[in-house]
Amino acid sequence: MGERSFAEDVKQLGYGEGEILRGEGILAITKALLQSGVSYVGGYPGAPVSYLIDVLADANEPLLKPLGIYFEQSGSEAAAAALLGASINYPIRGAVTWKSVVGTNVASDALSHVASAGVIGGSVIVIGEDYGEGASILQERTHSTALKSSVPLLDPRNSLDAFARFVGEGFGLSEACNQPVFFSIRIRACHMRGTLRCRDNVKPAISMLSRLDSPSFSIDRINLPPFTYQMEAQKFEKRLPAARRYIVEHGLNEHFRGAEDHLGIVMQGGLWNTTLRGLHALGLADTRGRTPVPLLVLNAIHPLVPEELIGFLRGKTRVLVVEEGMPNYIERELKALAHEARLPVEIQGKDVFSPHGEYIPQLVVGGLRRFFTSAGVTSQSTTAIEDRYQALTAHREKVGLVLLEPVAKRPPSFCTGCPERPVFSALKILRTREPAIGDTHVAADIGCSTFSTQAPFNVGNSVLGYGMGLASSSAVAPLFGKRTISVMGDGGFWHNGLTNGVANAMYNKQDSVLVILDNFYAAATGQHHVPSTGTNARNEPLPMTIPDALKGLGVKWIRTVNSYRIADVMGTFREALTTRVPGLKVIIAKNECMLERQRRERPRLRRLAAEGHQVVQPRFGVDPDVCTGDHSCMRLNGCPSLTLRENPDPLREDPIAHVDETCVGCGVCGEVAHAAVLCPSFYEVKVIANPTRWTRLVSRLRQAVIRRLAAVTA
Amino acid sequence: MIDAPLLSLLIPAVGGQGGGVLLEWIVDAAIADGYPVHGTSIPGVAQRTGSTTYYVELCTERGASTDELPPIFSLYPVPGALDVLLAPEFLEVGRSIELGFPSPARTTIIASTHRLYSIHEKIATGRGIYPIERLDAAARAFARKLIAFDALALAREHGTEANAVLLGALAGSGALPIAVEAYRTAIRAKAVQVDANLRGFEAGLAVALAAGAAAGGEGSPAAAAPAGQALSDTDIEAMTAAFPQSLRPVLRQGVLRLIDYQNRAYAERYLERLRPFAGDVELGQIVARHLAVWMSYEDAVRVAEFKTRMSRFERIRKEKGVRDGEIIVTDFLKPDLDEIYGVLPYRLVAWFARWAERRWPHGRPSLGQHVKTTTVSGYLRVWLLTLLRPLRPISYRAHEEHARIDRWLAAVARCRAWDGLLACEVARAAQLVKGYGDVRRRMTGHFDRLLEAATKAGEHAMANGGDFTAARSLAARYRALVLQGPESEATAAALAADA
Repeated sequence: MGERSFAEDVKQLGYGEGEILRGEGILAITKALLQSGVSYVGGYPGAPVSYLIDVLADANEPLLKPLGIYFEQSGSEAAAAALLGASINYPIRGAVTWKSVVGTNVASDALSHVASAGVIGGSVIVIGEDYGEGASILQERTHSTALKSSVPLLDPRNSLDAFARFVGEGFGLSEACNQPVFFSIRIRACHMRGTLRCRDNVKPAISMLSRLDSPSFSIDRINLPPFTYQMEAQKFEKRLPAARRYIVEHGLNEHFRGAEDHLGIVMQGGLWNTTLRGLHALGLADTRGRTPVPLLVLNAIHPLVPEELIGFLRGKTRVLVVEEGMPNYIERELKALAHEARLPVEIQGKDVFSPHGEYIPQLVVGGLRRFFTSAGVTSQSTTAIEDRYQALTAHREKVGLVLLEPVAKRPPSFCTGCPERPVFSALKILRTREPAIGDTHVAADIGCSTFSTQAPFNVGNSVLGYGMGLASSSAVAPLFGKRTISVMGDGGFWHNGLTNGVANAMYNKQDSVLVILDNFYAAATGQHHVPSTGTNARNEPLPMTIPDALKGLGVKWIRTVNSYRIADVMGTFREALTTRVPGLKVIIAKNECMLERQRRERPRLRRLAAEGHQVVQPRFGVDPDVCTGDHSCMRLNGCPSLTLRENPDPLREDPIAHVDETCVGCGVCGEVAHAAVLCPSFYEVKVIANPTRWTRLVSRLRQAVIRRLAAVTA
Repeated sequence: MIDAPLLSLLIPAVGGQGGGVLLEWIVDAAIADGYPVHGTSIPGVAQRTGSTTYYVELCTERGASTDELPPIFSLYPVPGALDVLLAPEFLEVGRSIELGFPSPARTTIIASTHRLYSIHEKIATGRGIYPIERLDAAARAFARKLIAFDALALAREHGTEANAVLLGALAGSGALPIAVEAYRTAIRAKAVQVDANLRGFEAGLAVALAAGAAAGGEGSPAAAAPAGQALSDTDIEAMTAAFPQSLRPVLRQGVLRLIDYQNRAYAERYLERLRPFAGDVELGQIVARHLAVWMSYEDAVRVAEFKTRMSRFERIRKEKGVRDGEIIVTDFLKPDLDEIYGVLPYRLVAWFARWAERRWPHGRPSLGQHVKTTTVSGYLRVWLLTLLRPLRPISYRAHEEHARIDRWLAAVARCRAWDGLLACEVARAAQLVKGYGDVRRRMTGHFDRLLEAATKAGEHAMANGGDFTAARSLAARYRALVLQGPESEATAAALAADA
């Protein structure tokens, strides 16, 4: 049901040996899972791996079921990590996926337990590293989780073939060392389009078609002392050494030799493409990756293999480490190893690049230039490197001369017709027109609704985790002179908000207001199903509802409002904020995600119109002569289709409001103008295509009368 | 080092523009034509109306025939090493330039000149739009070759989206070696809106082929067309004959507007008020413009007239592309108390107005209604209001507005006696008087404060040696701050208080 249908792509997942698959990184990973003989797959959607869930959902009927593979969209990342529990006792392969680092944080309790007990069936966790440009979350990397839980971490080179190979190696590695394995993939790599040479899919030995029949019990797999002490010892005495052996024996890391053997670069596999492009830009590599500079590409960045690293460092005078994020574990480990082995090599990394931020080309090229102009190479003169660098950057000095002021920012926001946006219009109108009631602390949440904190609303004083809005106001509410408001999307509600938010607030008798934005899907990730969607990701019907869940927890004050009716939403907020009823008051602001609705409705209406049926479509507009161009509506509305146009009035200079052709007629323009008493400029026009004879007749009669009246005053 | 040439293409788009489809077409076309290629994107959260980027790299050596090593493709563009910038929106060209991607030595820029305004441009009370001339100059300065045109308008003409048109322009530009037919194959293979997309593609292709090497930014938006009443009225010429030639075009606009608003006598009153400033060309222009707008303030009668004109319904049909169908128009009207008693005679309602202002100092009661102006009863309700027009000169609103206009003109005249430039600034203050209801009350409050502060500063300057720089800048800054938006209004008020 997701934002994108992979139905066409899914056909390629059935390809056999030697066939060429064409598609995104995510598709290659899915294909590799099938080639590895997994018995179960699951995960929680989140960019950049949300499409993985879509692909799996689309593949469920045609491919997974016939192979007997169990698929679920888990309730949260914690549930997804716990899914790996199947591989603790049974020799079955499984894979789960989530967005990291936040998903890893949610998953970490279950994950630590799986990593402690160990697995006997290969377990791979595909983590979408949401780091750098295009990321939507706080900036941390997953490396430290891998270190503290002794989970091997693969960070392969970016090509579809490499992804497929390393998914397969991940299962092998996991089984060799009895640990689950992280397979990390970056944002752009997930969406990278390329080709993959396929192998046959493997039918798992244990599956829904060939089930287990007896439980396996072994007390030393229970996470309780004294076994936890044994497990800890095993991690460092058996499992990690076994992982290192596997890494060496299967050549997971790649050593490229070169003529400049006094130098070397050690890099994470995921940074291979950018580093090679950087070398290319400075004239130190060709487009096919041939370079005189020796390279050590770490496709497995945990555990590191000391012998491999020392072997690379030996005989070199200067080595550069290309490692994203902090702490710089690889660089530090290299330095420690060089010190212990008393190697006279100078190791650099963060000092020539940057301690923070994604390693994008401008940063990498700058760092490489710094390194090579000081280290010196024999195959290129320093001036040649300098000249190439200048050729890339000289023009940048002129930017300020033509763009005298910075180009306007374009933050992401609510879509045209979004049913969540009017709730924040209502809150902003309440805040400005009735500050005594409405100007209060608002705890925001994760999801599309986080955009409320951006222009034009700037509603939301804190954001601190998915489904955590209400919990984050637990101490603010009793210490605040007015009732506070917390926001939660339906996705966040089911993920974490039901227990840590609502149950916690009820348990602690919090007197505050919670608004749940119920748009039927986890919309931010691409309209993924939530328990109240009505069906699960496998399209099986479900009776779960938000009000039932709330009632089950004892919430008494529950109101459901149509989120497009701004006056009603304001009225409900006013009531919730002022009622004498103590305790938690929950407003469910409800309407379907407009993206999903349009995806369904647009083709339907187009088809009806094409068949000659009468089709009525509402649109909004602004009378250009009535609008005076003060843009108050924009500050309260924020709809992308409500925009500006040059003032057609030659005597006025400020641009006026204009509703462009992307309008879906949700009605919020008019609602805002009314609720905030703005202006009479807005009108709704119902456009009737293929009018019936009756519609035409009524319309003609009306027009005849109206024309007469108009003629009187014309 | 011998090197297979590698070409790179960056698409800086706005979420929802179909950049992903554009990328897929290009990648598929390259594959169809046998070039090693790869593409990537960062849709993610930015997909929701934010800035998104899509990136393609293509190796010009076909197949893997000469070499077994495949080309290493980067997932990111290298600033300064970009071959093509394909921009479906014009501000995003500026953003790419800001980030250093296109270089004048190397980059072909193919851009649509239409704008999707960012929220920060929209929420200014005045003009917050990023100056298009600057974007235009930047695109010219940073392109080896520039093909810029309004791809969205062209797309709409052909019933398709801008991305198909831009794909055509890319094909026609010859910036990539992919054969034109391969692009068509890619569109067909995608099997979505094939005919419409092919139409758009051909249109874009034609533009790029015609543009050739000499293409330039032809797409800077044309100035808005003036209100087009055909006029051969010698009467107006006679009325404005006493005014300098340079003022006459704007006077003509003003006179027409006010005859339409009230009657000829009202237009003559306009000219009479203007006469003292006519000698000064710049000041005359400013006063003429603002005075005409102000004297045609939007009272309920004026709004009713706008809403019931037959030309309005024609305009709506045209704007919404309704050729054959029917329309039902609903107006969202919510006059507040001020607007209701504003149309009634001053003598009748002045006492009430004073009481109401005390009773409801912030936000007066309002009367919300949804009126279907395409039905007879709905039309009648609004149309009846237009019959009150003869009462307008004696209305409460007229009394208030004209008193304020007189105060404004007096202040302008007073300042002119001191300093011409200060007078211009004070005249420009009338730009603040706009909006309806609470907004208009807030804006006129600022106008009053500006007037007072500027004249006070003028007086002060007069008494202290005649340097009016501070007074001028006070008036200019106050106006600019208020036009930035409500967030800056407190700063403006503080500025006036300090003066």
